[in-house]
Amino acid sequence: MNGVVIGVIYALAALGVSLVVGIMNVINFAHGELYILAGYFSFLFADALGWNMYLSLAVAVFLVFLFGIFIEYILIRPTYGNEMYSLILTFILSIVLQNAYLLIFGPYPNKPPTWIKGATEVFGLFFYGNQRLAALVVGAFVITAVFLVIKLTWFGKIVRAASQDREMAELNGVNTLYLNMLSFGLGCALAGAAGVILAPVFPVTPTAGVQVALTAFVVVVLGGMGSLWGCVVGGLVLGLVENLGAAFLSTGYKHIFGFIILILVLLIRPAGLFGRKEI
Amino acid sequence: MKDKRVYAAIVVALACLLPLGLDEYKLHVVINSLFYVMMASSWNLLAGYTGQVSFAHAAFAGIGAYTSGILSVKAGFNPWAGIVIGMAAAGFVGFLVGVLCLRMGGIYLSLTTLGFSEILRIIITNEYEITRGTMGLQVPALMPVYSKTAYFYIMLGAAVLSLIVIYKMIYSDTGLNFRAVQNDEKAASSLGVDVVRIRVMAFTVSSILAGMAGGFYGHYLLLITPEIPSLDQQFLVLSMAVIGGLGSFVGPILGAFTLEILAEYIRGYGQYHVLVFGLVALAMARFSPRGVMGIVSDYKRRRNQSLIAAGELRG
Repeated sequence: MNGVVIGVIYALAALGVSLVVGIMNVINFAHGELYILAGYFSFLFADALGWNMYLSLAVAVFLVFLFGIFIEYILIRPTYGNEMYSLILTFILSIVLQNAYLLIFGPYPNKPPTWIKGATEVFGLFFYGNQRLAALVVGAFVITAVFLVIKLTWFGKIVRAASQDREMAELNGVNTLYLNMLSFGLGCALAGAAGVILAPVFPVTPTAGVQVALTAFVVVVLGGMGSLWGCVVGGLVLGLVENLGAAFLSTGYKHIFGFIILILVLLIRPAGLFGRKEI
Repeated sequence: MKDKRVYAAIVVALACLLPLGLDEYKLHVVINSLFYVMMASSWNLLAGYTGQVSFAHAAFAGIGAYTSGILSVKAGFNPWAGIVIGMAAAGFVGFLVGVLCLRMGGIYLSLTTLGFSEILRIIITNEYEITRGTMGLQVPALMPVYSKTAYFYIMLGAAVLSLIVIYKMIYSDTGLNFRAVQNDEKAASSLGVDVVRIRVMAFTVSSILAGMAGGFYGHYLLLITPEIPSLDQQFLVLSMAVIGGLGSFVGPILGAFTLEILAEYIRGYGQYHVLVFGLVALAMARFSPRGVMGIVSDYKRRRNQSLIAAGELRG
């Protein structure tokens, strides 16, 4: 059960990475820090300013979206065609953000208020925290919404076209400049969504983003770069494996399973479960 | 070529005189800088010349340091032998990681190395009995009587050695292949360059050099902590190379000295140096991708051009 909840959140975080990889061929190493940023925003608005909880969630995600667009415009745009610099830039950005958080918020964990208190009995078997159940529901809802947007809307069609063949999409009149900006912002917003959903369960600290980003990357490689279904399946697999595995090994080694999976994927099927042969 | 060698010899000879004029603390800063010179230059061999970004360079230094440290503490090895074995261990692990992900291209290498350094950190902090976790592992010194001056010469020797290896590689046929792979992978492979082999080779060599740097550094500090293979350390090495100038031989050396000395100054005001370097490195990578050395060479070219133009006008 815990595995499923965590898996959904992993999938949500990985979805943002995968979207950006599929369209722009850029890996955002600051993904985890944006997750943390949204957590801090929601903490700030709801706890320190005393805003309505739902409002502060929405504003937090929207601000991260704007921040993502800003990053794309300032840092990523000049690096198109040179993946090395986008890797270096986003890595430096992640360290800068970590240290900025440390300076502003301090090393203590911060926790926005929980949405619902108490626990529910699940299937008459065990008790489970309501907050985690809510996270599951909202996470699944956001993932469904992303899929609907990609499959059904005009924007989704453009996204799919550009990730299949970028030049062809450009020839057909897609403005890839705006598309890049929007999809990078959307990728960041998805990281932010995962952040606000999970922050009440796992409090945010300045360096907690590294683990989140690493897990998201493992999920993306497992599912196949640029594949959205791969993210969902990969996220669930990783969530379940980690939780089952932690029962056998010490919890300190929980994150090692992700790495083992990463190595296995690279050994056996480097393109991932649903991946294209080339990216 | 000839006078470059003379310049290098003069610089090294002048460096040999440094211990005469520096106190213990300043000598410590210089020794640290030499460690970073080794790290940044060997990272530059990989990133600047073959275009692959590894985030495990500090982790390989950690492998070198911990292998040598554990062998000399638990198995009674001579530290010098330990360092050699540590280099071999770093090279072997680097080779494995390289073979594993370089078939799939640069992004996979960056992802895997990032995961690798995080996993290494987890293992080191959890295996408390072997590595002493965050407490740090106390290791023996390289010589019977501890002397900063002797360490300075050892580190200088190691740095010169690894710089010679890097220089020879860059200006050999292999180095040409490196740059061919970086500039246009498909064109290089169509001309018969084995792209994957070249990449794995560059990755292995730079891992060995990182292992050596880490081994010497560990036996200098006498205390090996998970700080050596941390991502913060990796970031420092990366920003030294980026600010100094990727793809230039001198750039990372300048970057290492400048940033290490600056870090000591900023440390006086608190732990802001990482943030400051991060912002500078961001601006550098964004506006001058070839770092300070890129700015210098652009300036030289422009001045030459304007001199030529002026000469033509007069003539």
